[in-house]
Formats: sequence, structure tokens, C-alpha cells
Amino acid sequence: MATIYEKKGRYDDLKLSSKVFFANKSAVAGLIIFAIYLGIGLTMQLAPGLLGVQDAGLAANPACILQSPTCAGLLPTAPSSAHLLGTAQVNGIGDVDLLDLMMKAIRVDLALSFFIVLSGAAIGTVLGVVSGYAGGLVDEAMMRVTDIFFTIPYLVLALAVGFILGRTLENMALSLVVVWWPLYARYARSLTLSTKEMTFIEAARASASGRAKILFRHITPNVLPPIFVQISLDVGTILGIFASLAFIGFLPSTANVPELGYIANQGLTWGLIGYWWTVVFPGIAITLFALAVNLMGDGFRDVIDPRRRS
Amino acid sequence: MKLWMYVVRRLLILIPTLLGLTFLMFILTHAGGTHILIAEYLNPRLPETAKNAATQAIITRFHLGDPIYVQYFYWLWPVLQGDLGFTITPIPLPVTTAIALFMPNTLMLTIVASALTWILAVPIGVYSAVRRDSVLDQGVRVSSFTLYSMPIFLIGFILLVGLGIYIQPAIGNVNPALLPQLRGTSWFDSTISVSYPTHILFFDAALHGYWNVAWDALVHALLPGLSLTLALLAGIIRILRASMLEVLDQDYIRLARAKGVPERFVNNLHARKNALLPTVTTFGYLVAGLLGGAVVIEYLFNYKGIGWWTTQAFYAQDVGAIMGSTFVFGIILVFTTLLLDVLYALLDPRIRY
Repeated sequence: MATIYEKKGRYDDLKLSSKVFFANKSAVAGLIIFAIYLGIGLTMQLAPGLLGVQDAGLAANPACILQSPTCAGLLPTAPSSAHLLGTAQVNGIGDVDLLDLMMKAIRVDLALSFFIVLSGAAIGTVLGVVSGYAGGLVDEAMMRVTDIFFTIPYLVLALAVGFILGRTLENMALSLVVVWWPLYARYARSLTLSTKEMTFIEAARASASGRAKILFRHITPNVLPPIFVQISLDVGTILGIFASLAFIGFLPSTANVPELGYIANQGLTWGLIGYWWTVVFPGIAITLFALAVNLMGDGFRDVIDPRRRS
Repeated sequence: MKLWMYVVRRLLILIPTLLGLTFLMFILTHAGGTHILIAEYLNPRLPETAKNAATQAIITRFHLGDPIYVQYFYWLWPVLQGDLGFTITPIPLPVTTAIALFMPNTLMLTIVASALTWILAVPIGVYSAVRRDSVLDQGVRVSSFTLYSMPIFLIGFILLVGLGIYIQPAIGNVNPALLPQLRGTSWFDSTISVSYPTHILFFDAALHGYWNVAWDALVHALLPGLSLTLALLAGIIRILRASMLEVLDQDYIRLARAKGVPERFVNNLHARKNALLPTVTTFGYLVAGLLGGAVVIEYLFNYKGIGWWTTQAFYAQDVGAIMGSTFVFGIILVFTTLLLDVLYALLDPRIRY
């Protein structure tokens, strides 16, 4: 028996997986766009000077008012060769280059989306697997708790959580974690339940494997891959939700943080009377990212699900 | 298991869910400290000398000195009797009155959006599946994928800026200048701007023959409704197309074709009816979500529905309104879900409980 396993090389699985993934043209396109976003985010984190940005922190530099009082209240200007995407007015300070601002925002948005999805998935998966495997009263109680979170629209729930935490960027991310974990708990639970009924689990039980061993050696490895695909799909979704939350004014208008939804919210003041680019460009940045992530996630789904391979 | 037993069981499960929801929201809104509630109820124009006594009165009235779970029961008791407390957004009102004011507008928006979605999604989805892999199908798939990835505020903004000059007026829910002509009519309560008997201004005005008011209310709901439609369309088309493809692959469709039924009847009679079944449920859930989930669009279009009210309450730190609106959202979503499940069981005899 052992020889059969040894014939298979260590990286054969990976080779097959990457072959399936790279055969999917749109998934590769998604991966490239995703990589560009990631590159922008990392460059802004490590060396913002490379992309011609001095300070990756604030949306509009308040020092602008001190240096040139004309910056205050300056109207946005249309895209031109000097400002490729035009300029915006943030927090009352005008003459902010929109491209610079959006690159700053991509760093913040990517970091927070990953934070929300990963922590939501971690909490939800652990609770979901445990409740699905334990069954009985624990499971019932768990599901009633997640029910509660599904009865309110997520934006409203996030607003209510923000109510107690306060209106800052970090708290916006935390409030979305509160909203997001029940989805993963449900998903992980249903995956656990279907895995639990499979024959190989019965075989493991027959060969006197302990409950803990079955949980960690047999169930968890089968639950995790679909969860990872879900994570890769959700990173794009959550960015849109995150930005929408900032757009409806979760952050106070004086927040002055680079965040795509906040930029769009600030741009809305002028956006409705002809200065459309301050809302549309941040929106397109979100769309492009979500599109790329969705395409990429579809590719990953093909990899883990042999039935979808053509 | 009989259907009615299933309904009773589901209704019993609803009780802990709703209690848990209100408890969660109560903790979330009250754990921030008593000062929020005191600030909300304290009259800011009181002289300094009277403020202490007034604060004390508020503390005793809401039992703010007690532990938070005790306060919850003091909140719950009037709620069970239909009293949801008070709100300061947009003006001091009982929460139930505010909901009666804002909920009809959201209902109007939901009706417009869901009607538009259904009208557009069914032909597009069916056609896309029937002409599988044609240029049109590819186009539908690409555009619905793109729409699906767009944040809803971008959809709304593009429509508002692009079509707002043609479809006037785009912002708000009704032209307030039209309302004075309704004052004194038996069906319009001018003190709080709520109309009878459906409470939705469009229907009430149309019923009583005020066509200019009805038309104005409809035009106001058009652009926000269309934005919501575009946001929902992608999901519905995707599901409808998938289930239509599945149905078209069935044996009975092949039989119908083999015995010479014209293609148009095969598609429209044999296939479409069955393909619509799973779509109806998804559609229902989306509409139920719309009733509370139109927050972004209502904010963007300044459409004074319950989502708009919630955002305003959030800015104003209005505990009463947040508690009230989440309670209403919870009730709506829970009962719509139940209704949909029952409806689905009635529509599809294959479902067993």
C-alpha cells in the first residue's frame, strides 16, 4: 500500500491545481489585477515614495492649509495631464490628487478587507465546525445565535455596532467582523455535517479513531478548502460593503482617512453638480477589485471541485 | 409532517430569535454608557440649575441605575404592548409614528424595484438560457457579472448623474410643495404627513384622484428603484439562467420536443414554469432584504425611507430609533422568510417537511 503513495510526487497535486487554474483565462486576468492591487498596497506600505506619494497616512494633508491657504475650499479639477484622475476635495481641503489618494486608500482598504474576512472566517469556521460536529443542543443553540444575526440587514447591524464602538476606521472593520462571522459559521457547519456522513469517517470510527482525531485529521482538512475559496470570493465583496458603509457616513466627515468609500462620500458634495470623477473613480476602483477577485475565486473553485473541471 | 405543524414549529423558533435580536441590540446601544440616553432625552435649553433634577428624572424613568439586563426587561415590557419608545430623528416623535412615516416610502421603493426586476429579469434570463452561448448570452453574462461587482452607490450615482437630468425630480420622495393641497382632505394626516388607507402616498393619492401627487411620488421612486433593480438583476438572472438550463436538460423537455411541440411552447410553457420555482424564493429573500437593505440608495437619493431614517438616527446617536428600526427589520425579515418557505411548499408539491 505504501508504495502507491510514494509514487505520487510531493508537488503533483500543486502542479495539477495550477494547470487547472491557469487554463482558465479569466481567472488569470483576475489574478493579474489582484496582484496589481496588492502591489500598490504593499508599495504604499513599504515605500510610498516609489509611486510619488509622500505620506501614505492622511487623506488630505492638513498642512496644506497652513502652507497655502488657497487649498481650503478649492473645487475639484477635472482629469488632466498633471492630475491623471483629477483632484478632489476632502474634509474641506481641496487640490488633493485623486490618483495619489486612491493609491493610499487601496492600502488601507486591502488591509482592512483581509482583516475582516480572515478574522470573520477564523471565528466562524471554528464555531461552525465544532457545532456541526458536536450536534445536539450545542448545535441548536449555535444556530439560533446565528439566526439572530441574519434577521437584520448587515449595514444596519454594522451601524448599530458602530454606535457603541465609535465612528473610526478600525471600529468599522470590527463591526463588519461581527456581521460576517455567522456566514462562515453556517457554511462551515453545513460542510461539516455533509463530511460527517461520509463513509471514510465511518471507517475511521470503526478503526477506533478518537473524536478529536476524526475532527482534526479527517473533517477539518475536508472543510477548509471550500472555506478558502469562500474567503477569496469574500475579499472582493467585503471591500464593497466596507466602502458602502463609509459612503453612508459611518466615518464622520472630519475623519480624513484614505478609504475609497469615504473619498466617494466626500466627493458626493460636489459630485452631484458636475464633479463626477470624485465619486466615480473610487467606485470603479472597487468594482475592478471585486471583479478581479470574483474571477479569481471562480478559478479556485474549479481547482478544488473536480466536477466543475471541463 | 403536516404543513401547519411546520409553521407552528417555525413560529415557536421565532420567539427566541426575536428576543435574542432585541437583547443583542439593547446591549449594543446601551452598553456605551448612560450619558447617550441622558443626552438624548435631556432638554438642552434647561437652565443649569434644573439640569440635575431632569437627569435624575431620566435615570429613574429608564431605570438607568439598574444592571443592563434588568433595564432590558423594563424596555421589553412596553414593547410587548406596542410602545417602542421615543426618537429624536428627525423631530421628537414616538418610534411607532416615525415608522408609520418612513416605512411606507421604503415599501413604495421596494414595490417599484421588485416589479422592475421581475419584468426585466425573467425575459433576459430565459432568453439567455435558451440561446445558450450566443453573443447575447455572453453579453448578458459579462454585464451581469460586472453589475454584481459594482458597489451599489456607484450604480446609483451613475444613474443619478446620467439620467437625473431627464427624469426630474430625482432627489427626495415627493415634492413638498404639492402636499398643502392635500391638507384638509379626510385621508391625509397633515400633522405627520401620513396618508390613508395604504399609507403609501402614491396609491392613496391615485385612489382619491390626486393624479399630480401620485405621478410626482412615482417619478421620485423611479431612479432609486432602477438603481436597486440593477443591483438585484445580476443575481436573479444568474439563478434563473442556471435553473432554466437545468430544466431544459430534463427528459420531459426532450419528450416534448420529440413529439413535435413548437420550440416556443417548450420554452415558455414546459420549461419556464419549472425554472421560475427556485427563482421565486431567491427573489423573495432579496425583496425581504430590500425592505431594510436599501440604506445606501435611500441615503444617496435622500429618499426618506426607513434606511434613511436609520442613518440619520446613527448620526444623532438616537438610541430609540436604532432599537425601533432593528426590531422592525427583524420582524419583517423573519416573517417574510417564513411566508416564503410556506409559499414554496405550497407551490412545489415535491417539498416535504
